[in-house]
Amino acid sequence: MKYLFGTLALVVLVAALTGVVCFRMNSNPQLHAAAAKGDALQWLRTDFHLTDAQFAAIRQLHESYAGTCEEHCRMIQEATRARDALAAARGDAAALSAANRELAELRQNCETAIARHVRQVAALMAADDGRRYLALVLPKIAAFDHRAAPDLRLNHTR
Amino acid sequence: MNSSRDSLSNFLRGWRVTPPSDSNFRAAVWQRIRKRPDVSWPAYLRSHAVIWSTVAVLALVAAGYSGSALARAHVRADRDAIVITYLVDLDPRVQAALKP
Repeated sequence: MKYLFGTLALVVLVAALTGVVCFRMNSNPQLHAAAAKGDALQWLRTDFHLTDAQFAAIRQLHESYAGTCEEHCRMIQEATRARDALAAARGDAAALSAANRELAELRQNCETAIARHVRQVAALMAADDGRRYLALVLPKIAAFDHRAAPDLRLNHTR
Repeated sequence: MNSSRDSLSNFLRGWRVTPPSDSNFRAAVWQRIRKRPDVSWPAYLRSHAVIWSTVAVLALVAAGYSGSALARAHVRADRDAIVITYLVDLDPRVQAALKP
């Protein structure tokens, strides 16, 4: 009986070690660290195998895009406020419709600008990594619900 | 015929067995009962090779698969989380909705 339990304990021990080794081999500590810190640029660097030069170029691209992003954000907020004011007043239906159209147009322009930006980022990566990046990011941009805070599943749709 | 049977009966009637007394008899019997065959661990494994090989292979495959699957799930969750962070940074529409 002692050999039965001894052998069983040995098998369990070796299996546990195998599980730990497989876990470590398949995990990505750099990605985990980037996610824990919320450091998206670090994620790009590790997940898409950026060289220092690629990383610097992408960082610069992001910094230059930040101004555009800020401007778009301001315009969308203003258009939303104007549209909400018209809706609250329950006045001119044509003006409200025009405000809605303007807001939709701003959102569409914004989506186009983001897509252009991520394509520029992808162009700075190695071809395979760029394709993988676009396949990951573009569908999520298109699927974002822009009227609610996003969640991890990105399952809000228009 | 009858006389030979009578003589046998007489003989058996008078027969007495007087075995030498052994004070260690009970202890010796119990010792033999308790005594196990002296098998080493390798010999035990050799005699149960098929069952233990099967158990070991199944356990290793299950553990390896579970470890890999768990790691992949962590990687997926980390990637989903960081992609959201990235897109929130990039997307003015989301920022407009989140900002007061």
